[in-house]
Amino acid sequence: MFITEILCRILAKHTVDTQMIDSTTLILTLMWGAAIGCIYVLLATGLNLIFGVMKLVNFAHGELLMIGAFVSFSVSTSLGLDAYIAVFISMGVVGLIGVAVERLAFRRVLGADKLNEIFVSLGLILIFDNIAVLIWGEKSKRIISPFENMGLQLGDVTISFDWLIAMVFVIAILIGLVFLIKKTKVGMAMRATSQKSQASMLMGINIEHIYIITFALGAALAGAAGSLYGIIFPFNPYIGALPTIKAFAIIILGGLGSIPGAIIGGLLYGIAEQSAVIFLGGIWRDAVAFSLLIIVLILRPTGLFGEKSD
Amino acid sequence: MFTKEFTKENILKHLQSTNGKLALVTIVVALLLPLVLNDNFMLQVLTLIVIFSIYASSWNLLASSGQGSLGHAAFLGIGGFTSSLLAINLGVPPIIGIFIAGIVSAGIGLLIGITCVRLKAWFLAMVTFGFSVIAETLFSHFDDYTHAVLGFRTPALLFSDRLPFYYFAVLICIISVTLIYVIMKSKMGLAFRAIHQNSVEASMIGINTAKYKLYAFVLSTFFAGLSGAIYAHFMRYISVAVFTADYSFKPLMMSVIGGLGTIGGPIIGSVIMVFIDSMLPNIDGVLQLALSPLFPAVSNVGPSIRLLGLGVFLVIIVIFLPKGVTSLLRKTYQYLRTELEGEKQ
Repeated sequence: MFITEILCRILAKHTVDTQMIDSTTLILTLMWGAAIGCIYVLLATGLNLIFGVMKLVNFAHGELLMIGAFVSFSVSTSLGLDAYIAVFISMGVVGLIGVAVERLAFRRVLGADKLNEIFVSLGLILIFDNIAVLIWGEKSKRIISPFENMGLQLGDVTISFDWLIAMVFVIAILIGLVFLIKKTKVGMAMRATSQKSQASMLMGINIEHIYIITFALGAALAGAAGSLYGIIFPFNPYIGALPTIKAFAIIILGGLGSIPGAIIGGLLYGIAEQSAVIFLGGIWRDAVAFSLLIIVLILRPTGLFGEKSD
Repeated sequence: MFTKEFTKENILKHLQSTNGKLALVTIVVALLLPLVLNDNFMLQVLTLIVIFSIYASSWNLLASSGQGSLGHAAFLGIGGFTSSLLAINLGVPPIIGIFIAGIVSAGIGLLIGITCVRLKAWFLAMVTFGFSVIAETLFSHFDDYTHAVLGFRTPALLFSDRLPFYYFAVLICIISVTLIYVIMKSKMGLAFRAIHQNSVEASMIGINTAKYKLYAFVLSTFFAGLSGAIYAHFMRYISVAVFTADYSFKPLMMSVIGGLGTIGGPIIGSVIMVFIDSMLPNIDGVLQLALSPLFPAVSNVGPSIRLLGLGVFLVIIVIFLPKGVTSLLRKTYQYLRTELEGEKQ
């Protein structure tokens, strides 16, 4: 009763006339949601990879996305490189940062109390945010893409090329990742470590190396996500926190350790978020998505596609 | 549950232990400090330390049962808004309102707790964080009452002077921390620690983990709401900014820096953090002079350098001092004691 009253008041207060929402808006919402969702998928996959292999919760993953965006920005403005070539440089740089973070910070708390990982991540968030402020300043920036203001005409709707290219990039990177994990020796070692780290150590796998490779890969994915984010949206040093939390929400929606789950979860999440913006108004963007997450967790504590077991 | 362990002799024993003496010394120092530092600014810093001690202790109580909340600001805000709105709209005196705020916050904590008890560490962190975002959105939405980002002026709590307010806050803090101490030392606290260590084993020896986790949630959110209400009446202003992640991470950092799972930890952490927050802006000018040529992109390097330092400090504490500053103090104390005793012999 009380809840329905609140819902009625929420809906009554928002002034969007449902009549105004036509097919154009709907398609744009879906596309916009899918484009954002793709970036979230990339971030979530990196997190999922790190979690799956190392059982490590890196709450500072979004800061790697932010750093990726800034690296890409610096490369494309100071060296005059194409924004899409800068994506690869950014992946490399952020991957190296990932190696440093793993060796200096996370290695030392691995296997201890789970809460310690969260604390180290919070410290890293402060460190990365403020380093970015000191180097690049607090003002919002955007990476200028070579396809600025160009788009695909579909009836009344114009879909920006940048969104489409971002999706293609994400798909290509994911295919590459799946190939790496399924077909190469390193990937096999990663899968073995994720299943039983001690047994794989006995089989002669150097799990410390595997940890470094995994973390670097996850960080590189975040770097790519950041570069694509920077091409589509303006960014500043503080954008990292919410994407991290959203990537976690996506992993939880899709189930821990499941890449297809992360993809479906990411797209669902992006579309839910954008629909909330269109139908309820901007301030509801994050709340609706988190409500979705909490409802899913109440119904299925291990996520939509997660395994039943502990 | 508590009666058996807290008889008269037991209380005396607790007071005569080293920790008990330390607690008495702390209380005496807290009561005497305003006599030395009685300008307006210092009183504000001291009161903030006391309020955040309650808040951080409440977070610490929850964490002692293995549940690390990333959205405790939701309960701080709910407490603050409940008491202020009751006072303004229904004329409830704030002195009663702050306890109603605690109870309302605990009630909502119960609902969130029911969702959370089945979840593991990072799932719980996500849900609590999500809840603080949802709370912020809801309070922003109903801006007829809450005035969203603008905020509103809250009524005074009986007295508008700083000094009596400080003593009132100290009183509430002593009561809250003592209660939390009693809880942590009781059977319930033992169950919390067992669940934190290993929840599967805890349930095997007959601890109803869901029930105790829920207890921890309700008790913790009560104190968080209480401290939020006192905070709102102290600042004489509240806006939805209290729901931001900043306020969620503060009690966490305080507890970790001070020492997780100890009684003194959150208090020491809150002393350190509030001092860093309120005193270090004084060195901004020096930092600006020394470092601004290095970082041309920023107009004022001070705040970023300070936060950067805080981040490094936090990481170093977690890696090298996982039991916090308290453990360092205890080790030094024990070292000095053995040294002194050695000299006597």
